[in-house]
Amino acid sequence: MSFDDKVRSTSAGLAFCGFLKAPDVSLIRSAFADISLRAKQHVVMDFTEYDGMDTVAASGIYEGIRNLERAKIDVYMNGLLPRDQELLASFRRHEQSLSAPRRSWSLKDHFEGVGDDVVASWETARGLWVFSKNTFSALVRVLTTPSLFRWHLTFYYMEHAGVRAVPIVGTLCWLIGTVLGFQAGYQLKSFAAEMFMPDLIAYSITWEIGPLLAAILVAGRSSSAFAAEIGTMKVRQEIDALEVMGFNIFEYLVTPKMCALFLVMPALVLMADFFGLLGGLLIGGWYLDMPASYYLSRLNFVMLPIDFWWGMLKGLVFAVIIANVGCYMGMRVRGGAAEVGRATTAAVVTAIFLVIMADALISLIFMEIRPTVQV
Amino acid sequence: MNAREIILEVAHLFGGYEEQEVLKDISMSVCRGEILVIVGRSGCGKSTLMRYLLGLSKPWSGAVHFEGEDIWGESMDVLRRSRARWGVLFQSGALLGSLTLLENITLVLNEFTNLSLKEMELVALRKLETVGLADFARSYPLEVSGGMQKRAGLARAMALDPEVLFFDEPSAGLDPVTSSELDHLIRSINRTMGTTMVIVTHELASILAIADRVIMLDGESRGIIAEGTVRQLQVESSDRRVTAFFGRESLNASGVTSDVNGSE
Repeated sequence: MSFDDKVRSTSAGLAFCGFLKAPDVSLIRSAFADISLRAKQHVVMDFTEYDGMDTVAASGIYEGIRNLERAKIDVYMNGLLPRDQELLASFRRHEQSLSAPRRSWSLKDHFEGVGDDVVASWETARGLWVFSKNTFSALVRVLTTPSLFRWHLTFYYMEHAGVRAVPIVGTLCWLIGTVLGFQAGYQLKSFAAEMFMPDLIAYSITWEIGPLLAAILVAGRSSSAFAAEIGTMKVRQEIDALEVMGFNIFEYLVTPKMCALFLVMPALVLMADFFGLLGGLLIGGWYLDMPASYYLSRLNFVMLPIDFWWGMLKGLVFAVIIANVGCYMGMRVRGGAAEVGRATTAAVVTAIFLVIMADALISLIFMEIRPTVQV
Repeated sequence: MNAREIILEVAHLFGGYEEQEVLKDISMSVCRGEILVIVGRSGCGKSTLMRYLLGLSKPWSGAVHFEGEDIWGESMDVLRRSRARWGVLFQSGALLGSLTLLENITLVLNEFTNLSLKEMELVALRKLETVGLADFARSYPLEVSGGMQKRAGLARAMALDPEVLFFDEPSAGLDPVTSSELDHLIRSINRTMGTTMVIVTHELASILAIADRVIMLDGESRGIIAEGTVRQLQVESSDRRVTAFFGRESLNASGVTSDVNGSE
């Protein structure tokens, strides 16, 4: 029986001719499958007429031989070139190392992993703290020495992190204001209390949603951008170059970003408040037949200036968090481009996490200090 | 060579990354005006040593002195003052990607001089001309070839006419012709301006072309295993690791082979 001109069945086993290559593996397999059905106690592999084999074909032959051996059939090789004998012997060696037991899962490893993660988080927190202190001292230096202040870079980041975020922050806050107004109206209507809808919108938007949404969007857009920018510079050794050229990295790279966010965040928060309240106004008119004059006079009645100021103050705190986390994650990049991707993800996640933590804390203080309005 | 003034000195330096020691008890010195090449196989700690020389990392122990002052001394002032007199060419050129070649140089001038914008640009153009890139002043780093980026990096490193120039693998990623052009440039800057140069490389062709003196590091012993002129290392050294490193070149370069034969 002949499979091809390269592999033939003989009475004693198989005979190989020519040079065996990767595409011949399927032939070799079916030849071995055939011989394993026919063979009794021993087979002879006749290599006297072959010219050699490549590594892939050799692996096919080796696997065939091993299958025969497992079926308790003795395999005799005839005329195999020394080079290929060595090749098959190396497969035999490596097969043993493959079958060696792999590291098994253990509870200890699992706990160690958790421990490592905790230590890593702690290291990150500590690193961020040290980084923030450095940023702060650089900020003090820059603010007390106006010649160190880099206006053009600050304006650049104000445009990219602030002005370009206006459409998305405005749109989303308007949408949230609308949805909130609609849902509040829907619930309040059943108690015939829909005239309190403006109160609910006013407080939820200016106390929480405006500042938080603005911060989350800026964190998503700019924290990642800062991390990517600095991380890439780190990978390309630009940071090292700046450092040996005598630049203070914090003054040159971090403070312009920080100052830019510091200047734009309160404005973004105010704008987010405005669009959120506008959303409430529109849905009030459309769904609750609430006159705009009523909505506005109600806002005027229940809101205090501190509601806006406090939100903008939150914006300042968020600006510090977002700029610091973004720059820190970028600065932590070691190694290659893949690290930059990880750094941007870490920057966004950490920034949003810390923003919400800070928000919770500031809101608690706010509840204590805000004068009550008699409704 | 020993009679000449020592400008940079390393004394009993130990260092590495985290737990792993890379450099063990390194002591070496650089003389004013010479081209010192630090060689060794990949992973032997050349670049790590360079980071310590530049003050980018603090050694575990030991000291780096620039003109007799410890760069990690009491305050950061020494390091800051020293750096103002150094220039560095990093492996990739390390130009700021968001600035043109010209702006990359004026950035440095702007930071450390009181020149007007026009004066800074004139200086920058002059520096770019030195490295043959005056026509590319307005190009961004990514718009020019790797060799050009290196040369622009060199122009930036020379912006403030430094006394010492450091090179980290100047020929990495360059074809042999461009690489030898860069070697030629380095040599000519050294000759015309007397700039001291410290070069980390593993390119034999570069070493043979530019080195006044060579220091060889070894990854296993984590220290300096040979020091001297190229000729001393090539011909006189009996250390197996040194001959293995230089041996390949003496087979390739016929001039060197005959030299070796002649001396035998």
